[in-house]
Order: sequence, then structure tokens, then C-alpha cells
Amino acid sequence: MTQVILGQFLNGIIVGTLYGIIALGVTLTFGITGIVNFALGQFMMIGAYAAWHFTDITHLPYPVSVVLAVLVAGLAGFLSDRALFQFTRNNLVNGLLVSIGLISVIESGALLLYTATPKNMDFVLSGSWTVGAITISRMKVVTFGVLLAVIGLTWLALANTWLGRATRAYAQNPEAAMLMGVRTEMLQVGVSVYSCALAGMGGALYAGLYSLEPSMGALFILKGVEAAILAGVGNLAGALVGGIILGVTESIGSLFLPTAFRDAYGLVFLVAILLFRPSGLFGSQK
Amino acid sequence: MRFIAKFATTALLGALLAAGAQAQDVVKIGQIEAQTGPNAIYGWMPSQGVPMAIDEINKAGGFKVGDKTYKLELVSLDTRGDPKEATIQLKRLLEQDNARFVYGPFLSNVFVTVLPYAKQFNGKFLLMGGATRMHDFVGTPEHDFVIRTWNWDAGPNGFGERMVDYLIKTAGPKKIAMLFQNDQGGKVLGEIYEPIFKARGIETVTEYFEPGTKDFTPVLAKLAAFKADYLFPGYADAPLYDIVRQATEGNFIRKFFLVRGSLGPGMKNKDGIEDYVVYVPKHFEEAEKTSPKVKQFVEAYKAFYKRDFPYDQAPLCSSSCYDHVHMLVAAMQKAGTVEDVGKVRAALLSFTHSGVWTIKYDQRGEQIFDFDIAHLKKGGAIQITRVEP
Repeated sequence: MTQVILGQFLNGIIVGTLYGIIALGVTLTFGITGIVNFALGQFMMIGAYAAWHFTDITHLPYPVSVVLAVLVAGLAGFLSDRALFQFTRNNLVNGLLVSIGLISVIESGALLLYTATPKNMDFVLSGSWTVGAITISRMKVVTFGVLLAVIGLTWLALANTWLGRATRAYAQNPEAAMLMGVRTEMLQVGVSVYSCALAGMGGALYAGLYSLEPSMGALFILKGVEAAILAGVGNLAGALVGGIILGVTESIGSLFLPTAFRDAYGLVFLVAILLFRPSGLFGSQK
Repeated sequence: MRFIAKFATTALLGALLAAGAQAQDVVKIGQIEAQTGPNAIYGWMPSQGVPMAIDEINKAGGFKVGDKTYKLELVSLDTRGDPKEATIQLKRLLEQDNARFVYGPFLSNVFVTVLPYAKQFNGKFLLMGGATRMHDFVGTPEHDFVIRTWNWDAGPNGFGERMVDYLIKTAGPKKIAMLFQNDQGGKVLGEIYEPIFKARGIETVTEYFEPGTKDFTPVLAKLAAFKADYLFPGYADAPLYDIVRQATEGNFIRKFFLVRGSLGPGMKNKDGIEDYVVYVPKHFEEAEKTSPKVKQFVEAYKAFYKRDFPYDQAPLCSSSCYDHVHMLVAAMQKAGTVEDVGKVRAALLSFTHSGVWTIKYDQRGEQIFDFDIAHLKKGGAIQITRVEP
């Protein structure tokens, strides 16, 4: 039983990084543009379908498809920002309404292009690795590694580059950052596009693991927001940890409790944490 | 000027009369199936087969009932598997389009949702669908409108019982783990098969997953602890692809038994599975070689749609599909009416149709037809066993 629990613990960590990449996008967008972009799940879906299309239809190598999918999601994010989100900066309600509207538009577009019938990508990396009694799919391990690297590089960039410092400065005090010469409008566009590209990367890797449906984005944005709130919205490193905690809670919860209510276990955990730490596990307590 | 006005009036009156006469000579058929969506496996093929049959009949000049010749008109609506959508669509078909014959639904959750509304029209139309839940209502009082266009799993003609007997004969399992979607379709499968396995001394455990689940690893790990001989997952290909892949990659279980779904998930994972036994209403690749009617149907599909024949989806044309339109026309001709649904129903239940499938209805109104058991082994070798109830 210990090995079963350990196996599901590892599985939860891996699945949790998918939640974490969305949570990172949510946190970045909220911290810089002042809005919660609920359409990030749809940008994940765009990345997933783009990766599937480039791999299975145009027969490009999967790594190339992932890069292209990230670019497609990023471009979609740029167009959305220019057309819509630039008019909702720091207006939480308007940003929320616009992002919810965008969800319907993007999902309808996917339905039109690909119908609602699920798509299954040809196996990119099949098989699994076994250590003792624990078996983990190779594709899941690679996905975890890539996402961890991307999230890690994002954190390092924010911590050590001028752009990263400018971003953090803006998040702390927009007026002061502007006075110090930070080009705030470009920063907001850049963060918005980067968040969508991150979501697109998550989607492209997701496509190598699971079947795709136009409605897949709804589940992942919910998980991403849950993870961001669990960690404390605004805490970048916490976004990944929040995602992992959620993934592990669901996996371990499903082992001992009915699987049919799996999504509820993460929510129950979130509520329990917020009762004692309203600003999240790593959020500021003031 | 007067002559032109008279001529125009006569022409207009003539056109209106002709249109009116045309409207009387058309029998409207409705269809409510999930043509797209996660459960499209159960609705897409019927949406392909019904138009083909209607086109064939109309191109042959229609069909005669009494002294009149009729043509068929199809109103086909995509429910996407959404019960609320299906109810609105059925309302349109019955109240606006005045359709007396409606094909669908194949999904139980859709059927139970439309049922209260449909019941108001008992005696005025026929609802001919393959939904498993329809079994509970077919042939019962105030449900004359229900005709179930698929085999029932249990009972003397039950295909599920035959499938389980085949599994016992070829593999002799002692334990089966069942994994179904947490909805009407999944629940009814649990209700049917737990007693069937128990009656044969096979131990079972059942888990349900939330619709939309993608990561099945935790529940597969839970089921693996039961050390089942076979995993019995259901019921649509959408989750089956994920379940079979994760079960084999995670080394949880490599043997599968299915009564819903297709060969597709097994074939995609053919190097990871050890055994994959699936109920296939007809294995078209084999049947095409031996049955002229199947071959004709395949050729007709390619000519009509100008694309390759969907061998993986075609088995689901066993419900509310091509053969059923021909049966309905034959029933109307036998009954001598296109309007009296009671007589048409009685006629439908009175004969055996020999088409792509050999189909008849039992006295309650539930379909009985021949089917195949596809046994897929590791590597992709398939063995087909024909069963004729």
C-alpha cells in the first residue's frame, strides 16, 4: 500500500505542475494587469489543439509542434490583449466579464474547427519507467521536467534580470516604477502575452498525455485559480507549489475516497486552508 | 393586362395547391442524437445512416401506402449529448415540425431528461432510440411511444450475458473490476452487470469516475489493488482511450472487457494490451467480404458521402440508423397508414428485417439482432465470433 500511495503522490506532483503553469499565468496576469484572466484555460486549449494539429495533421516533429503551439497561443494572447484586455487594466470586474466572454468565443471557434469529438494525438513517447513497484509514464515524467524547467526559468528571470526586477517593481508600486523609467504599457502587454504562452505550453504538453476536447480549458482554469488562491495570489513560486498540493490532494483523496468526487477534494482542502490563512499558504498575512 | 393577371393568379393558385399536396405526401422523420461531443460515438453513425436510407427511398420515387406515394423528410438535430438541448429539440420536432417518428436518443442521460415531456405525446409519435435506460420503459403502460433500437444486455436474448459467457469460456476470469462514468449510462451498466457476474461466481468491484476526467491513474491504482483479471470500463470511446492508455502504461491492468465502445482504444494501445474483448455489433472489415448487403451498404456510403467508409464507427449503425428507416417504411406499408402510430408500431413489431443486420423486435418493442464479439490480442491480431440470438 505504501508504494501505491507513493506512486499516486508522484502522479499528483506531475499532474499538479499542469495546474501550476496555469496558476503561474493567473498570478502573473493579476499581479501586473490587475485582472484575473479566466480565459487562460482557453489559451491552454489553443496550445493543445495547435500541438495536435501540427503533429498529427501536418506531421511535424512533436518538439517543433510544441514550440509552434506556444507561439500560436502567445499570438492569440497578444491579439486578445490589444483587442480587449488593454481596455480593462486594473478593472477586476470588467476584466472578468471580458475574459468570460472570450471563453465562449474561443470555445466556439474550436468547436467549429474541430467539432466536440475528442482528438487523440499519436503517441509521442509511449511506455513507462518502473522503479520498484512504482510505474510512471515516460511522457508524464518528460512533461513534468519541461514544465518545472519553464517555471524555474521564469522565476529566475523575475529574480535576476532587469525585466524581472521591473516587473516586480511594477507589481509593488506602478507609479514609482513608471517614474523610474519602466515602460509600463509594454510590460503589461508582455506579461499578458507571456501568461498565454505559458498556458499554451501547458496545453501542448497536455496533448501528448490526454485526449483533447474544446471544453478542456474550463477544468484547468478552475484548477489554476484554485492553486493560485491556495498559494496566495501574487506569489510566483507559490503558484507551482499550490498546483502540486492540489494535484496530490486529488490523487491521494481518490485512493481512499470515492473517485467520482475527485475534484471536490482539492476544493475542500482549499476551503480548509483559507479558514486559517485567508491570504493563502504563502500570501502576506497583513 | 387582364389576361396576364388571370394567368398569374392561376399559376399562383396552382403552385399553392401543388405545395399543399406535396406537404401531404411527405412523412417527416426527426432525429435527436449526439452527432458531436464526448459521446458522439453513439450518435454520429446514426446521423450518417438515416440520411442515406432516406435518400435511397426518395430517389426510388418514394414509397406507396394505399393509393398514395410518400417521400421522407429528415429533420436531424445535434444534441451534443446535452439533455437540455435534446429536450428543446424534441419539442421543436413534435410541436413545430409535427414529426411522428423520431430516432434517438442513444444516451440514457438524454432519454431520462426528455421522457417527462415525451410522455405527453404518448400515442401520437414513436421515439426509437438505443438508450440503455429505455429498457425500463419499453412495453410498459403509457409508454407505447418507446421503441428500443438496440439489444438488451441481460435476459435470454441478452448480448451481455453472451459476452460474459464468451469471456468465461476463453479466459476463465475470477475477478472483474468495473469502471464506469458517474451518470445514468454508467449507473445502469453497474446495475446490469454486477448480478450477471455474481450469478457466474465472478467477484466484482465497481468504481465511478466524474464525466470529463482525464487522469485515471488514482482510480486505476485503486482497482489494481483488487488484482482483477479484467478491467471492464465503459462506456464511450472518449474516456476509453485515456483509460486503456493509462492502464497499460501504468502497468495497472492489461486485459479489458467491453460491452460499449469500440476496437479503437485497443488498437491504439495494441502493443500494451494483453487481451481486449469487445462487443462489436458488426465487424465490417470481415462482414464486407461475406455479406452482399454489407458490401452494398459500404459502397453506398462511399458514393453518398464521397469519403472513406468509417469502419470503426459503422458498428453503431445497428441502432436507429439505415436499416431502421427501411423497417419503418415497410411497417407503414404493412399497416396501411403513415399517421396511425399505433398501427405502425404493431406492424414494426410483427416482422424480421433482413438488411445490413437481421433485426426484429420482441413483443415489448426492444430490438434483437445478430452481433460480433471482437477479441483483440497483443500486437493487433483480431478474432471475430458471430452470435445470432
